[in-house]
Amino acid sequence: MAASIRTLALKVLSDSTRNIHHVSRCRIKHLCCRARIAGCRGYSDSTEGRSTHFGFQTVPEEEKAEKVYKVFESVAKKYDVMNDAMSLGIHRLWKDTLLHIMNPQPGLRLLDTAGGTGDISFRFLEYTRSMYDRQQRLKAKSHQTPSWQDIANHYVSDEAGCPQSRAVVCDINKEMLKVGKQRAEKAGITTGLSWVVGDAEELPFDDDQFDIYTIAFGIRNVTHIEQALQEAFRVLKPGGRFMCLEFSKVTNPLLARLYDAYSFQMIPVLGEVIAGDWKSYQYLVESIRKFPDQETFKEMIEDAGFFCVQYFNLTGGIVAIHSGFKL
Amino acid sequence: MSHALRTLATGIFSVQRSVTVLPLLRPVSAVKIRGQHRSRSDGVKGSESQPFDESLLEFLVCPLSKKPLRYDEKSNELINEELGIAYPIVDGIPNMIPQDARMIHKSSSTEKPTES
Repeated sequence: MAASIRTLALKVLSDSTRNIHHVSRCRIKHLCCRARIAGCRGYSDSTEGRSTHFGFQTVPEEEKAEKVYKVFESVAKKYDVMNDAMSLGIHRLWKDTLLHIMNPQPGLRLLDTAGGTGDISFRFLEYTRSMYDRQQRLKAKSHQTPSWQDIANHYVSDEAGCPQSRAVVCDINKEMLKVGKQRAEKAGITTGLSWVVGDAEELPFDDDQFDIYTIAFGIRNVTHIEQALQEAFRVLKPGGRFMCLEFSKVTNPLLARLYDAYSFQMIPVLGEVIAGDWKSYQYLVESIRKFPDQETFKEMIEDAGFFCVQYFNLTGGIVAIHSGFKL
Repeated sequence: MSHALRTLATGIFSVQRSVTVLPLLRPVSAVKIRGQHRSRSDGVKGSESQPFDESLLEFLVCPLSKKPLRYDEKSNELINEELGIAYPIVDGIPNMIPQDARMIHKSSSTEKPTES
């Protein structure tokens, strides 16, 4: 009698383990699964069964992060070349516009999330340095006949050095950061730039640390966008600025049709020819379609606690810059 | 006239050639300088390809507990004493993903099972 019950129990357990990978329907079975596979997935699986989008596919949430990681791992080396090819070089103008809207003063601290190869950080450091030079020149111009006191003060302030702007590039993908670091060394940028491997949903930074938080073409790859926005709110100083550069909904219907045709016909082909990876670029264009439009994203940013949220459409809405302040 | 054009054209190409040679020189010298730096700091920091920037520790914290970390030079890791985990530093870049961290037990150290 006991033996038959035991075999029955074992059968139930073995049945349930076979069902692990499917959406668990029964709570009891779910608990059996968890007890059985104690070693594998330690976290309480309240998210098990919830799925999200990976391009046009539907995947379990746990898988999305891994799939996105694999996409960027495979495209890392050719990332910059592909950006130039796909956007015909226009991505440089978009990033320059982001910097112009940001208009950073020298001495600020930037967190470049999903910074990857470091495009935004390089531009930030260059911008602040040229701005500092310009300020020094204006100061020199206005002091055409300086007194001895002024000259003495000038020497003192020069020794202290210009206020050091700091950029921290954070990305979940080591390969992208490696490529970025090599680029920095080639460009000769050594001071003021740091590289950290980290998750945008769980930033390894203390509260109230950064003046500016940017995420350029990265937030659509995050599994839980609201969490990333909340983390952004946490690490920003009061008065800090959140800026997001991302593909968005095209406003003009004619342009939308041309853009769709270009995206779905040309971009995966370019991906195959240049980077040897059709699927990753198919994911890219699909993920753009899945991302919320300008107004919806603006509301998400406001929900996270940011004020004065506004967006700027670039190139007819192909790309939008959202900006908000932590007040 | 054609002779002048030809010399002009070759002049442009020779300039281009010299321009492309220069960028090749720069990374070589950068590598040499780095190599010297490495040999100098080898005694202090151990065998790592690039030194870790300790000024990051000002605002770098554990992503799970948001508490400050301790930099361990010998094992080249960032250690959170409270939770007993160590984040590795690869090529001077700290890896702050919890799944890649190593658990440090008081008696032995075991690998934390990596998820997905």
